[in-house]
Amino acid sequence: MIEIAPLAIGATDLATGTAPHTGAVNGLSVSLSPAEPRVRLSLRAKDVGVLSAALGRALPERIGTQLDGIARLGPDEWHALLPEGSPVPAVSGQPLSVVDVTARSVGFTVEGPGAVAALIRGCPLDLANFAPGRATRTVFETVEIQLWAMAPDRFHVEVWRSFAPWLWHSIADGIV
Amino acid sequence: MILIHCPYCEEDRPEVEFTYGGEAHIARPLDPSALTDSEWEGYLYIRSNTRGLHAERWRHAHGCARFFNAVRDTVSDRFEVTYKTGEARPAKITQTGGAA
Repeated sequence: MIEIAPLAIGATDLATGTAPHTGAVNGLSVSLSPAEPRVRLSLRAKDVGVLSAALGRALPERIGTQLDGIARLGPDEWHALLPEGSPVPAVSGQPLSVVDVTARSVGFTVEGPGAVAALIRGCPLDLANFAPGRATRTVFETVEIQLWAMAPDRFHVEVWRSFAPWLWHSIADGIV
Repeated sequence: MILIHCPYCEEDRPEVEFTYGGEAHIARPLDPSALTDSEWEGYLYIRSNTRGLHAERWRHAHGCARFFNAVRDTVSDRFEVTYKTGEARPAKITQTGGAA
């Protein structure tokens, strides 16, 4: 009979933290914490004008930037991070798509003077030149994330729910 | 790490965000059923396998998620130019690095 060894990890390794994980990277303090709940929308349209008019608000023009909670990820793709309780706009009958993907992802906040140092361990972007106002899809180690630069020392990380525990521990491991 | 210029994001991005998509500018026949078996084989399987400047498809999978085309030197692995899908291969690209 084959012996199956018990898992060498505990239950806490299979969940994201619920309290901020604080420490330092290269002597610079940084904290990793769960972000507050948001409404997430995936917005697709070929014509930015149609989408902008349907939502009744301006959209970021350059790919890789954000404006008031909406990031432009690609030529025809935007991602919205709106306050909890925000309604999903009704836009039926128009050549665009607005999908509520709130449950797809979770968010982390990486904040502090060492925020860039904590992220640069796994993210190959040029974060020294990733100014507030930028937001893009990228990778951390092997996991796809969205990285939003909210302030010079504060970043919002969006990650698909099932990758979140791994990503949490991966970022937290570097913060000692 | 190689930096690849994404023509949609308009900036140099790390190689790990991209995936390779094979040779570029291979148009699907408009009427596949009119092709002979060997012509169909040529469309499906026969590639130029260039030594030197090679036009190929790449996808910015972990970025804007778009396919685009690149001219890359298969000897030196240097990206000479990248351009959007649908645009013609730039006429004159001269090799700038690596062994010929």
